[in-house]
Amino acid sequence: MSKKILTVDDSKTIRMIIQRAFRAHDCSLCEAANGEEGLAVAAREKPDLIILDITMPVMDGITMLTKLRQDPELKATPVIMLSAESGQANVATISQLGISDYLVKPFKEEQLLEKAGKVIALQLKPAA
Amino acid sequence: MRRCASVTMRFEMTFMTTTIKKTNLIDEVGDLLNSSVPEVFNTMLTLEAVPASPPDLHSSGETLVAGSVGFIGDVNGVVYLHLTAAFARALAGKMLGLTDAELEGDEMVNDVIGEVSNMIVGAVKSRLCDSGSPCVLTIPCVVRGQDFKVASAGASERRLLGFRCGADHFLVELLMKPSH
Repeated sequence: MSKKILTVDDSKTIRMIIQRAFRAHDCSLCEAANGEEGLAVAAREKPDLIILDITMPVMDGITMLTKLRQDPELKATPVIMLSAESGQANVATISQLGISDYLVKPFKEEQLLEKAGKVIALQLKPAA
Repeated sequence: MRRCASVTMRFEMTFMTTTIKKTNLIDEVGDLLNSSVPEVFNTMLTLEAVPASPPDLHSSGETLVAGSVGFIGDVNGVVYLHLTAAFARALAGKMLGLTDAELEGDEMVNDVIGEVSNMIVGAVKSRLCDSGSPCVLTIPCVVRGQDFKVASAGASERRLLGFRCGADHFLVELLMKPSH
């Protein structure tokens, strides 16, 4: 069954790179440019995985993650944090909020696929 | 017609003590940039960026793009990534896997340069935090034009770091509030 992945990042560049990373896999991607939009899209789409940036305008990733974990319908959604910030204290704080994994920018697409593959069952698209 | 723009920086955050060596702090941050720039270029663009003499891009008459990200906290500063518009466009195409025709005007190029700047300074920020100097990043900004100069509103220290990437050269400018 096709998996649904939500990307929340204010950078269109990152959203496009993530889209490209998963293009060979049987999954659909939806996106949001900040935490507020991300919560709305998550409530509507019920994604199997959320790939979440930290530093964003309007609502940052930590606030979105906190609200997500308080929502009875969304609290179990796996989240991979994707951020340019890798400080030990930062990672420790975020880990306490309940994340599946943490990927630091810069990153290679293979690293993202490997981490996502540990959280959801990724399958290649059937040959056309 | 030549366009001119000026960018004024303001440091208004409280300056606090830190546990890492302050006397050469700007040089330490410069060293961190000298390692984070090649790392980001290699990982995200599969390009080799090699430290080189700082180029004089601003007298070239070419349109320039400058991505900037600040760090605010126990240490305060801002980093500008200066490139020619042509090189910035080439980087955007490479990073997104798009042809020149597929890049939508300048918007996508600006977004890529903002994100590359964010990754470069993010790596520096993380190392500063791990060294006992907590700080946060600002949202990336991108300036585009000709003959613009970066000026600090208050006293600041400045370092210019040059890089070569194939036949192209680019500049990383670091401005920091002096440590006391």
